[in-house]
Amino acid sequence: MLTFVIQSLVNGILIGGVYSLIAIGLTLIFGVMNIINFAHGALMMLGVFFTYWLFTLGHVDPYLSILFVVPSMFLVGAVFQWSLIRPIMNAPEHNQLFLTLGAMLFLQNLAVFLWSPDYRIMKTPYSGVNFYVGEIALSLAHLMAFGMAILFAAILYLILHKTDLGRAIRAASEERTGAMLMGVNIKRIYWVAFGMGTACAGVAGTAITPFFPIYPYVGDIFVLTAYVVVVLGGLGSVFGAFLGGIIIGVADSVGAMLLPGSMKSIMSFVIFILILLFRPKGLFGK
Amino acid sequence: MKKGKRALEGKGISRRDFMKSTAAAGMAAAVGSIGFPAVLRGAEPKEILIGHIHPLSGFLAFDGQEMKKATEFGIQQVNAAGGIKSLGGAKLKLLDGDSEGKPEKAISEVERLERAGVVAITGCYQSAVTIVATQIAEKLKVPFVVAVASAEEITKRGFKYTFRIQPASSMFADQVCRYMTEIAKAKGDKIKTIAYLHESTQFGTALADYTVEYAPKYGLELILRVPYSTKAADVSTEVGKIKAAGADLIFDSGYFGDGVRVLRTMRDLRVNAKAIVGVANGAFSHPKFIQELGDLADRVMDSNYQVNPRSDYAVKTLAEFKNKFAADMSPSMAYSYQPIPVIADALERAKSTKREDLREALTKTNFTRHILPQGPIVFGPDGQNKNANTLLMQILKGKIEEVWPEEYSTAKVVYPVL
Repeated sequence: MLTFVIQSLVNGILIGGVYSLIAIGLTLIFGVMNIINFAHGALMMLGVFFTYWLFTLGHVDPYLSILFVVPSMFLVGAVFQWSLIRPIMNAPEHNQLFLTLGAMLFLQNLAVFLWSPDYRIMKTPYSGVNFYVGEIALSLAHLMAFGMAILFAAILYLILHKTDLGRAIRAASEERTGAMLMGVNIKRIYWVAFGMGTACAGVAGTAITPFFPIYPYVGDIFVLTAYVVVVLGGLGSVFGAFLGGIIIGVADSVGAMLLPGSMKSIMSFVIFILILLFRPKGLFGK
Repeated sequence: MKKGKRALEGKGISRRDFMKSTAAAGMAAAVGSIGFPAVLRGAEPKEILIGHIHPLSGFLAFDGQEMKKATEFGIQQVNAAGGIKSLGGAKLKLLDGDSEGKPEKAISEVERLERAGVVAITGCYQSAVTIVATQIAEKLKVPFVVAVASAEEITKRGFKYTFRIQPASSMFADQVCRYMTEIAKAKGDKIKTIAYLHESTQFGTALADYTVEYAPKYGLELILRVPYSTKAADVSTEVGKIKAAGADLIFDSGYFGDGVRVLRTMRDLRVNAKAIVGVANGAFSHPKFIQELGDLADRVMDSNYQVNPRSDYAVKTLAEFKNKFAADMSPSMAYSYQPIPVIADALERAKSTKREDLREALTKTNFTRHILPQGPIVFGPDGQNKNANTLLMQILKGKIEEVWPEEYSTAKVVYPVL
């Protein structure tokens, strides 16, 4: 029984890392641009497929492929912002929602069109490798995903807090006009931040490929949870998103222990509603 | 957040209408409506329209597209053999209906196909969707030959227009318990307990319910059942519960994507049992499952509908399919294919394209030129194929073998698998 509980919690924490990574990208974009990006899951799916094709066609190690995924997803995000988001920055909120939603549907259908809705599985040397502590199994691929989440959260944190670019991004998110008056090139900040957020989604995509089936709708499974995480952590808070991911991962595990089947998500959604009711700013929101 | 989600759901409908009227969305539309009927010109024999409803997009799109291939293959086969001879060689034509995996979508799709003038509809791969679809078809008086959907109640509502070739849930549950008891007995082993992991919609729930009911008949007992959501990113807690139960047999019912996740997690957590047995599992006896999982899949069993491996006609049909589509026909695909020849046979006998005449002919079906491990296809008064059979399969050395009952087997069963 104890083994079972520990095993569940460990897996909850590890998968929570993936939620964190996705949520960090989402929260960064929201923090800077005040846009809820529905296409985030679809962008994550692009990261999944980038990794998959690099591995299948180029025999690139999936973890090495982040060296390619990060810059290319950054570029995708920057272009996405420049071509689609920029023109509607000052449009009403619902227009922005529809646009990102439309982009999501387009990207998913494009993936179905290009790569078919087929399930694919990447047979990497990492899949199926487990370390056992007593009876507790630690899957290497899950550990790596968690490690990548910590690494990228830390990198992002350092960029935001220790570099001029990061300071400019934070300034832009806190006070758009003020930052502009201080000489921050706000348009550049927008596409840079969007690129960084997209790169996070891409890395999350890379992280799951060794243990998750690959198909055009893969983003849907993770990204809904990521919205909950973002609200929990506080819209715009990177650290909040990171911690929120772990909390939700564990909440899902606890939910699965106590409740049957699809009911397990009740746990995370109850947290979601409670946060909205009692602390709408989220744990670390300003 | 909430507002956004509602917008998401509402958007699905308007997207569809939007795409139909907009050439700019051509690429996406091509995906959504592959094979949408082209208008035929010239003095061809009359075309007979048959509709099919499957999850062609959405989270089950992979499965849905496969079912579509198999259905299309049935149509091509009938047409290549000269169409419906009693109707002047009229050719069949397939119309797509996309359920997106959602029951509510099936309603509008049945209505749409009815308006388009189909003589019959087949589908829907998911029980929850099929229950709704057959209900609307009954109301509109359109014969509905269920392709893949195992829920018992589909043929238990006194419907006159619903027919089902595949075994119902109760038959799956009954037969898997019987096969496992027979195998254990043949190997001089004693089994008692079952733990059941199943996806939480109608499909998995009903199978588990019937296992609870039928297991005692064979001296077995279901000691734990754990439902899980197909949309869960991680199922390790659910699998952990199953492991902790320590039952003799582990039963599992799910679809393809989650089935892969479940088995991987079972191997990660070193779950042991005398046998891991899929019940109508969407993954465990799918050729791609072995291809993708390799050794991890070894010795996994699945009690499922299957084609008859010892029938020459079935072997020939499967080879033909492989030739055409460069892919193996999975058992689910075989059952999506089978309704088309059955409908064609009924049309042949009805000598009419009136839905009522077709329904009448379907009730008198006695069809032997099929590819299934059973006698003739005969529908009972409830519309259920009375002779439907499941087979027990096992993955042995990277191949799916039929292992039980012995009259249909291609290899010896390996049991226990510890």
